[in-house]
Amino acid sequence: MKKSFKAFIAFIILVVTLLVPAQSVYAEDGSLDRVQEKGQLVIGTSGDFPPFEFYAEVDGEQQLVGMDMSIARKIADDMGVELVIRDMEFDSLIPALEANNIDMIVAGMTPTAERRQSVNFSDIYYQTFQNIMVQAEDEAIYDSVESLRGQKVGVQTASLQEQLAEQIPDVELMQLGNINDLILALQTNRIEAIVMQGPNAVAHAENDSTLYTFEGDFELDEEDQGSAIAMRMGEDSLAAAVNESLGEILDQNLIEEYLGTAGEYMAGTSEEDVSENFLGTYWTYFADGMYVTILISVISVLVGMVLGFLLSLMRLTKNVVIRFLASSYVEFVRGTPLLIQVMFIYFGAGVFFDLPALTAGIIAVSLNSGAYICEIIRGGLNSVDSGQSEAARSLGMSKNQTMRYILFPQALKNIWPALGNEFITIIKESSIVSVIGVSELIFQTRIVRSTSFRGILPLFITMLIYFFLTFTLTKILNYFEGRMNHD
Amino acid sequence: MISVKHLKKSFGKNEVLKDINEEINQGEVVVVIGPSGSGKSTFLRCLNLLEEPTDGEIVFEGTPLTGLKEQNLNQLRQKMGMVFQQFNLFPHMTVQKNLMISPVQSKGIDKSKAEEKAGQLLKQVGLGDKLEAYPSSLSGGQKQRVAIARALAMDPDVMLFDEPTSALDPEMVGEVLNVMNQLATSGMTMVVVTHEMGFAREVADRVLFMDDGYIVEQGTPDEIFQNPQHPRTKDFLAKIL
Repeated sequence: MKKSFKAFIAFIILVVTLLVPAQSVYAEDGSLDRVQEKGQLVIGTSGDFPPFEFYAEVDGEQQLVGMDMSIARKIADDMGVELVIRDMEFDSLIPALEANNIDMIVAGMTPTAERRQSVNFSDIYYQTFQNIMVQAEDEAIYDSVESLRGQKVGVQTASLQEQLAEQIPDVELMQLGNINDLILALQTNRIEAIVMQGPNAVAHAENDSTLYTFEGDFELDEEDQGSAIAMRMGEDSLAAAVNESLGEILDQNLIEEYLGTAGEYMAGTSEEDVSENFLGTYWTYFADGMYVTILISVISVLVGMVLGFLLSLMRLTKNVVIRFLASSYVEFVRGTPLLIQVMFIYFGAGVFFDLPALTAGIIAVSLNSGAYICEIIRGGLNSVDSGQSEAARSLGMSKNQTMRYILFPQALKNIWPALGNEFITIIKESSIVSVIGVSELIFQTRIVRSTSFRGILPLFITMLIYFFLTFTLTKILNYFEGRMNHD
Repeated sequence: MISVKHLKKSFGKNEVLKDINEEINQGEVVVVIGPSGSGKSTFLRCLNLLEEPTDGEIVFEGTPLTGLKEQNLNQLRQKMGMVFQQFNLFPHMTVQKNLMISPVQSKGIDKSKAEEKAGQLLKQVGLGDKLEAYPSSLSGGQKQRVAIARALAMDPDVMLFDEPTSALDPEMVGEVLNVMNQLATSGMTMVVVTHEMGFAREVADRVLFMDDGYIVEQGTPDEIFQNPQHPRTKDFLAKIL
């Protein structure tokens, strides 16, 4: 699953880079000039990783904070540009970098040999340590790598920890994309331990008394213990500027200060009263996510309806070429996963121009939904008795009038339940755009889970919100269905 | 008024109309009879180009229909009302809207005038109280009377009837034939495909007998029903009378 996923991304990148004109940014290194001309440094991160990057309330607003964010801000300030932070899944960071969606990755990324082949790393700015996390009740049982022999151990997908965990004898690995899911798996006895980056493990253990963590006695390469900033290959002037800023940070010992600030934010979000008044603290996250989910769904369904209607007309026309084009589109879009379409549009467009993730997500979901709605409408139009169109035409009505006043209203009534179904599907499936960092409901849930150190409650609330959305929609659709029913 | 020359129509390899020549005059009531599969309905549907002829010529009020542009064809169709076996009322509209949609949309007639006209026509077919009813609440006979009124709402010069009573329960046939009878008396030009020999005998000016894609024989009702000439006409009439 993971391999094929990576292969897909590699394929997309390959296709996309083949499309790029030869004199692209890779050809000559004007990378620092480019950033300064733009006046913006766009960094990518994965905001569920305290104390490096996580969300906290700053001046009444939810913002990404943490040690890495402080470093990024310092780098941007040194360059004299504005800092723009794009939050996305850790897995999506390198593809986003390669597709020019971001200028660099600041996400506690370890410069492994494998990664060094595809990206350019800065100097190491933080030496970290690697921990093992177990349940507090197992504190006496596990104390070393050897003690975990033959056990089931969780790691984050595509992480350094995944490689380290192989040092545990006869280990059985469970790979998940999200740290919070791993902790949940640990708490529900699906795994015995997690290999985690040290400071992150400590942060979790301090906020949850059911967890216990200790530094693991892994054999580590010097290189494997550090965090560095990733940039595109060949962008040496940018790397030089970054290294200069990092040098100042090390000289002035700013890391300590940054970590201290991060700790204060964490304390601010994890006080006792948070767990007592969970919704009161986090309802804005859910509300924001719900708003974005509704926005994506409504626009996508409307655009999808228009597109689907046009496509269905194209599929019903006599012209063979037009019919072929429309049916090819429908077959292709229906025959490929939405996940890939979302990434293709976001990363693909990023090579040519800066397409905001939300726009890319809406475009992808709209294009996808258009294909399905086309088939629904086509079926609906075919389901209207041919006598209806004959009667209208015999009265002298034109093709367009017949479609508009006679066929479409009747088709609409027939396809109403199927359209409603599609709308509900979109509300749920729009969650896929979270992979490119669109802050819809699932994405916000991920943030709440990492900032609140609560695994299940946010999931439950999100489930209720989705049900509320789809159930309300069903009721509205039923009302209109009733109004159309004259039989 | 309608002139048909060497009309041919095939569906794939199946040649349904082989060589039809016919002249329909103003004010005439022409009834088309014949066994099923003889091409009666296809002939009627070719007259307003619901079926595109494979070959031949149809001239309506001096204008050749074949090869006409879409827009001009629509204008000519406005002058040719058609009534179908299955009524084909628009189920999502009230009876009144059924009568108003085409006058308002395709002829651009004022809404209030169209409303007034719809009311008159519905009274004329005995359904003055059904303005606000939806088609699904009507009986078959009522539906067909609405369909006739709907075609009349366009002020057509000719009315085409495609087996208008074949889908009706027997007790409802009479009310529809009555309306058609009235219409014939008022001088409307009508082409009627039907199995109602009684109607043909009483109302028709001319009866066409079709078989196997040809008009085999034609004449006044008396000539056809009392003294058929062609053996196939005799055979057909012997079977149904």
